Amino acid sequence: MSTIDPRIHQVLDGEIQREALPPELRRQVELLEAAAALLAAAPKAESVEQRVMAALRRPAAPRRSRLVWWLVTPRAIVLRMRPVWTLALAAGLALLTLLPARVSRPDVGEEEGIAQFVARFPGARSVAVVGSFNDWRAGSIALEDRDHDGVWRGVVVLPTGAHEYMFVVDGERWVADPLAGRYVADDFGRENSLLIVRPVLQ
Amino acid sequence: MDVASAPSDAEVVARVLGGDREAFGLVIRRYEPGLQRYAARMLGSRDAAADAVAEGLVRAYRHLASCRDPARLRTWLYRIVANRCKSHLARRATADVSLDEAPPVADPRDTEAAVERAEQLVLVERALRTLSPEKQEAFVLKHVEGMSYEEMAAATGERIPTLKMRVHRAREALLQALEEYR
Repeated sequence: MSTIDPRIHQVLDGEIQREALPPELRRQVELLEAAAALLAAAPKAESVEQRVMAALRRPAAPRRSRLVWWLVTPRAIVLRMRPVWTLALAAGLALLTLLPARVSRPDVGEEEGIAQFVARFPGARSVAVVGSFNDWRAGSIALEDRDHDGVWRGVVVLPTGAHEYMFVVDGERWVADPLAGRYVADDFGRENSLLIVRPVLQ
Repeated sequence: MDVASAPSDAEVVARVLGGDREAFGLVIRRYEPGLQRYAARMLGSRDAAADAVAEGLVRAYRHLASCRDPARLRTWLYRIVANRCKSHLARRATADVSLDEAPPVADPRDTEAAVERAEQLVLVERALRTLSPEKQEAFVLKHVEGMSYEEMAAATGERIPTLKMRVHRAREALLQALEEYR
């Protein structure tokens, strides 16, 4: 139940002109506007520009440090297993396990593993993978559809551990991997796919 | 900078993504004051607000490629800083000195009008602090940052009817508090 005249809201929401208000209601509108103006004109805080730019100019921490930081930083992780994808996920994990024995393996360090991305995007002109491992920059990991069947594939070496990622289709459409099976809520109202890279058995 | 010649947000984002890291300074200068004001309201502390804004801006830079609509950079930044503020609140172990507890100290060189304005500001801030965090956020975004309800929805992830209700309730409570303090 509103405790003030609804016309005050209408004026402040730009739905009616303030001239339509009687003087007492106009005074209340002005009181709220004056309060907002005072808050907007509050003493300016010291700028963080130098601090931010200094952080941006610093070389990125080594992959290992970033991985350790990622692993030890507390964060909320939402894991949702979708039953319909469980079989596909199991098949995908089995494929990841078998992969090293079946393909010529790139150089893989002790703390690295192989990730295979497979996605079906019929009609797409390009598909790239972006994620926490490449600073979410499109173009650095492009998938290929050599037989033009709409199934895009790519194999990359990544640090072991958990990585968030998404597909970028045709350079502009960001799509979570429907086969990921695990998803993490990010800061921007989306859910990123989650990939766990395990070390390659030597 | 001349407003007419100032690059649009989309142009600035394109420059940064194209490798011009220093162009991100334009983003900071353009939006930092509002972000600091907003974070200070959310956290009740200017120091904590500066930390949240700095973290948010670094995070925004690192994830800039995932900003799908650079023309809406502003609301995207508010959303990131809002999430940083929520993280700060969640992990806050000890209470910071609130804005209420640390009113601006009057400088002897201030004019009478400036002193009166500072007193009014303390009054308004005290009234604002009587509102729930959600209502404070809604009022600040709407009336201090001048956002439309659509922009507020993009910045907070809340639905427009929810935000509208919060703004209305905030106005009512604030008006009542201000009338009592007068």
